[in-house]
Amino acid sequence: MNLPWPRVFPALLLTGALAAAAVPTGPKAGQAVPDFRLADQDGTVRTLRSILGPKGALLVFFRSADW
Amino acid sequence: MELEQSLDRVKAQGLGLGAISYDSVGVLKAFAEREHITYPLLSDPDSKVIRSYGILNETVDQSTPFFGIPYPGIYVVDARGVVTAKYFEDDYRVRDTAASILLRQFGLEPISRAPVQAKHLTLATAGGEEPARPQQRITLSVDISLPDRVHVYAPGVTGYIPISLSLKPSPAFQADPVWYPQSRSMRLEVIHETVPVYEGHFRMLATITLGGPQALQPLLDAEHNLPIEGEFRYQACDDHECFVPETVPLKWAIRVLPFDRTRAPESLRRK
Repeated sequence: MNLPWPRVFPALLLTGALAAAAVPTGPKAGQAVPDFRLADQDGTVRTLRSILGPKGALLVFFRSADW
Repeated sequence: MELEQSLDRVKAQGLGLGAISYDSVGVLKAFAEREHITYPLLSDPDSKVIRSYGILNETVDQSTPFFGIPYPGIYVVDARGVVTAKYFEDDYRVRDTAASILLRQFGLEPISRAPVQAKHLTLATAGGEEPARPQQRITLSVDISLPDRVHVYAPGVTGYIPISLSLKPSPAFQADPVWYPQSRSMRLEVIHETVPVYEGHFRMLATITLGGPQALQPLLDAEHNLPIEGEFRYQACDDHECFVPETVPLKWAIRVLPFDRTRAPESLRRK
């Protein structure tokens, strides 16, 4: 009987990085993101550092809150 | 907004959360109040920061108020601001929920339903607990617990029935291929075979992309939930024998909200 060697099952998705060739997606994994100074919805100026938690952050870029 | 609902769990992971758009502070304030958003929404009205990230959408007609938008997406950065993962999509209407991202990247414990006792194993489903919008992506999970000395077989095995998680196809969503974790090799000396197996606890993930409102509407129940059915098939064996293959039916119910079409007051809108 042939030995059924375990097929290495590709680990899908776990480390993110979807890079559709046609769409620029900015800083790559391993690169630092640019800092910023922007006002939030209350007019308070926030920098990248002020957003980061002890383990990092999720930074979301979205099209518009209006449409 | 779906991120707000995941905020407690994002914070529990030690992560900050911030969202950036080209909207004015006034538009963001109106939105935050309407949607009860407490995390920072950052105003980048000249798209300076969007440009500095290299994600300005330059295909938009510059004479319209839509010029200045980014290619939308999410960066996961560490405590030094270094990217560890990112999620961008071609279609602006498709969004990963923060919960899905957390589940996939951090192995965050989902809020499980009560475990189901099946033959030779216990099984628990999770995912889809937060209300979702059309075209969002959601990750569903199935956790398996096997008693001592019992194993099941990984996909790709020959000669035994491998595990298989499948969702009943539906016009309401498209399913990615199911994600199975890395199996381990078990040597079966008696028959001189090495086989890929799972023992103890493991988790499988099924990520789906919901369809648009027209696809979802006819399939929602009275509570505006989308029922999703699936099944988990397996063959359990212990040290001495293999048992009859079993199939366990699975169910999820995802509460679906309509598209958010509310606009900011006229005076605040970008011209």
